Parts: sequence; C-alpha cells; structure tokens
Amino acid sequence: MFKFFQARRGDENPPLRSCCLFSALPARDIQIVQGFLHARHYQAGEVIFDEGEEGQALYILMSGQVGICRQGAENTPLAMLGPGDFFGEMAILDGAPRMAQARARSPVEVLVLFRGDFLNLMDDHARIASHIALELARQLGDRLRRTVNAQGVQP
Amino acid sequence: MNEARGYRYRSGPLVWALVIAGTCLVLFLFQKILWLVLPFLLAVVIYYLLLPMQEHLVLRGVSRAHATNLVSLGAFGVLVGGMALAFPWLAAHAVGWQESAMRYLQGGLFFVVQALYQLEGRFDMLADAHVSTEFVRQVAELIDSFASKYLGPLAVGVAAWTPLFLLSPFIAYFMLRDGSAFRHFLIRAVPNAFFERTLYLFDQVDRTARLYFQGLLALTLLDALCLAAGLWWLGVSAPLLLGVVTAVLAWIPYVGSVLGCLLVVLVAATDFPEVPQVAYGAIALFIVVRILDDFLFMPMTVGRSLKLHPLLTVVMIFVGGAVAGISGLMLVLPVLGVIMVLGETIGQVLDDPRLMARHLHARQLRQAVVSRDLY
Repeated sequence: MFKFFQARRGDENPPLRSCCLFSALPARDIQIVQGFLHARHYQAGEVIFDEGEEGQALYILMSGQVGICRQGAENTPLAMLGPGDFFGEMAILDGAPRMAQARARSPVEVLVLFRGDFLNLMDDHARIASHIALELARQLGDRLRRTVNAQGVQP
Repeated sequence: MNEARGYRYRSGPLVWALVIAGTCLVLFLFQKILWLVLPFLLAVVIYYLLLPMQEHLVLRGVSRAHATNLVSLGAFGVLVGGMALAFPWLAAHAVGWQESAMRYLQGGLFFVVQALYQLEGRFDMLADAHVSTEFVRQVAELIDSFASKYLGPLAVGVAAWTPLFLLSPFIAYFMLRDGSAFRHFLIRAVPNAFFERTLYLFDQVDRTARLYFQGLLALTLLDALCLAAGLWWLGVSAPLLLGVVTAVLAWIPYVGSVLGCLLVVLVAATDFPEVPQVAYGAIALFIVVRILDDFLFMPMTVGRSLKLHPLLTVVMIFVGGAVAGISGLMLVLPVLGVIMVLGETIGQVLDDPRLMARHLHARQLRQAVVSRDLY
C-alpha cells in the first residue's frame, strides 16, 4: 500500500517519444497515453506472449532485446527488436490469436497498452488514436513491403 | 502449436457452483458490515455517474487529480444549487408534513375500506368474516402503538445512518482520483504469465460494474419519466416527485415495487376520494410500467451488462433475499456479475497448463538470476 502512494508522488516519465508509435504526438497527448500504460519487467529467456494465445495488448520495448519466433524455435527468430520498437500490435487491431511467440533475449523492460484502453482511446480521443493507427498502418505496410521484396516480387 | 489453444473456454458446473456459493458468502458477509456496504454502494453509483465527465476531462489533457476536483466541485455545486432552490419550498411545507402524511394515510385507508366494503357486498364469505371491520381494528391498533413502538427506533436508525451516508461522496471522490492508480498498483503485483488475462479480467469487472450501475441509473430515469407522465395524465399531484421516489424504491427488487405501488395508491386515493377509478388507474399504470421495466427497459439497460439467463436472475434474487434479506435483494445481481467474471477468468487461468508452465519457468529464471553467485 505504501508503494501505491509512493508511486503517485514520483510519477516516472518514460521516454515514450523514442517509440515511433508516439513520436508524432504532442507532449500533452503523450502524457495522456502514459496514463494508460503498464510497466513490466521480464528476465532473459522469459516468454512475453505465446503463439496462438488470445492477444490483449500491444508491447512497447523500452530496454533490452526481444526475439519474435515460432514456438519451439527460439534460436531462429523471425525478428529481433530493440528499444523503441513495438510488438503484438495485431492483437489490438483485430483481436486475432498471436501469430508468433515473443521472448526476452536479455532483461527487458516494456510498456503495455491494453486493447480495451486503446479502443476507448479510439472512441474518445480521435486525434491520439488516429496518430497511433496511422503509425501502425505505416509499420504494417513497411513489413509487408519488406516481405514482398524478400520474396523477390515487385509490389 | 500449443494444444491448449484453439478452443474457447466455457465455465463448467464446478465453476458455476463456486460462483453461486461465492455470491452467497459475499452477500452474507456484506450483511454483517451493512453500515459500510451501503455507503460504499452509493459511492459506486456516484463514481460511475461522474466517471464519464472525469474521463472526458482527462482525455482533454487535464490531470486526473484536477479533473476529479473539477467534476466533484461541479457535482457539489449542482447539489447545493438544487438544495438552495428547494429550500424555500421545503421550509414552507415542512410544518404541514405531519398533517399531509396523516391525510394521505387516511385517504389510503378510506380507499382500502371502501374496496373491502364493496367486496363484502359481493362475496358473502368475506362479509361473514367481517374483513373490513377486522382491517379497521388492526390499523387503528397499529396507529395507536406506532409512535411508542416504531417511531423511536426509526428516529435512532435515521440518526445512525445519515452520517454514514455522508461518507459516500468522500469515498467516491477518492475512487475517482486514485482508482486508476490503484488498478495499476494491483496489476503490478500480478506475475507476468497471467498479466494479459488479469488486464482482461479487470477490464471485464470494470465494464460489468459500469454497465450495471449506469444501466441502473438509466432504468431509474426511464421508470420515473413513464410513471410521472402516467400520473400527470391521471391528474395525481406531484407526479414527477412520485415517479422519482417510486423508481428509486424499485432498486430493491419486489419489496421496493410493492412500497412504490402503495405510495402511488395512497396519493391517488387521497387526491380523488370520491373517484376510486383514479386509484385503480394508478395501480394499472404501475403494473404497465413494471411490465415495461421487466421486458423492455431492463434488457435494454441493466440486463445488457450481466448477460444472465432470466431464470438464474430470478432464482438468484430469491437466494439473495433468503441469505441477506433486503440488502441481499439489492446487492445480489451486481455481486453475482462481478463474481461471475472473476470465476470465469480464474477458471480460465487454472484450466490452462501452458500459463502455469510459463509462470513456473519465469520463477525458475528469476531464481537462477538471484542465486547466480551463491553456488
């Protein structure tokens, strides 16, 4: 209980702007988004979320490294993510099961945006939601382009 | 691919039995601390009433503390303004309250006695039993002994409960100001493996409670407006006040409705002593509004939040009444709604071996890190 009151006095100010998802937001809007985020810490090797599970949140990586991999194939990651990257975005877009596993490759600190909070934000604060949605769309487009290029097909 | 995935969890009979048993236990415990539960319940109603305004301000960039202060000041201003407007009227009528109460009571009794006389005229069995005479005798006895038997305890009860209800705005203020931080504080204590499920659980509990209480307020408004319109059409005095009072009384299932109906009949019978049809009309109106309430308004408002089978709802209302009396009748549905979400989510977590395995794995990793230099 003491920690609860202590945390209210010393609100930490995570460098959210380092994440491309929020880089275009004005400081006041970042402050609003910050109120919805949950900080979590993971040990190296710990599973953050599992392939096939019902996704409920988007993760923003603040420190450490995260590998995105197929279940049981953690030594051959599909992608490696570093500070400022985000992952698990499909869960908040369509609520579909997780397509891959996210596993901490080193001690990791993440901020988590819950799907319900994001949807409330979409309903009640169109400016913030549209910034985030636009950036999500850009990132998805970029990944699609890279995948198509890797397969040697012209988009 | 994990074998535990790919199916949607549905609560089994064991979870449902535990949910119902948990609801009964909570209602029983709540009855023991009713002095705290009722002010807290009123605080929750105030909280969900003011929450949309506070959230609106927070999303406009106002800090949560300032938004809470602004909304609380606004609500306080509306309350004080309303009281200031009502005070001259109350002061002018306060002297005549006892007289009015007696007038309405006599009007109601007159209506009942007339109805009994008419019934006795039609049914010999009732006439032989002297139903009307017996009724008048018992009511006279009750009135004679009312002041000595009930007035003292009633006054003591009002004096004891009023300060407790003053706690409600205070509790609601801190729920508004610190509720979000407290939720974050609780979620921080959850192990990583169960984190997303817990977020979902909190969201569902909050959504259920919010829909229930906001639905209840919408239901009260709809009931009050329908009753007020009907009473106004019948020509009964103070239709809006009567509509609001009876709609609030309906928060207590069954008992509240009967009390509300009695109140409306008392007023209608007193206003039109020579025209009993108005009182019958008021009873008919009350029944129509109750039917509208049960089959149209309730599913549109409160029912949407709990998604309960109608039979289970009715059975649980009776169970709540049996376990905890009137407080059980009032509290059974919100308590059942919250425990149902808790039970389903806990069942979901315990039924998922993969989540338990992830939790054990995380604990082992943490153990390895903290004991690295010990061996």
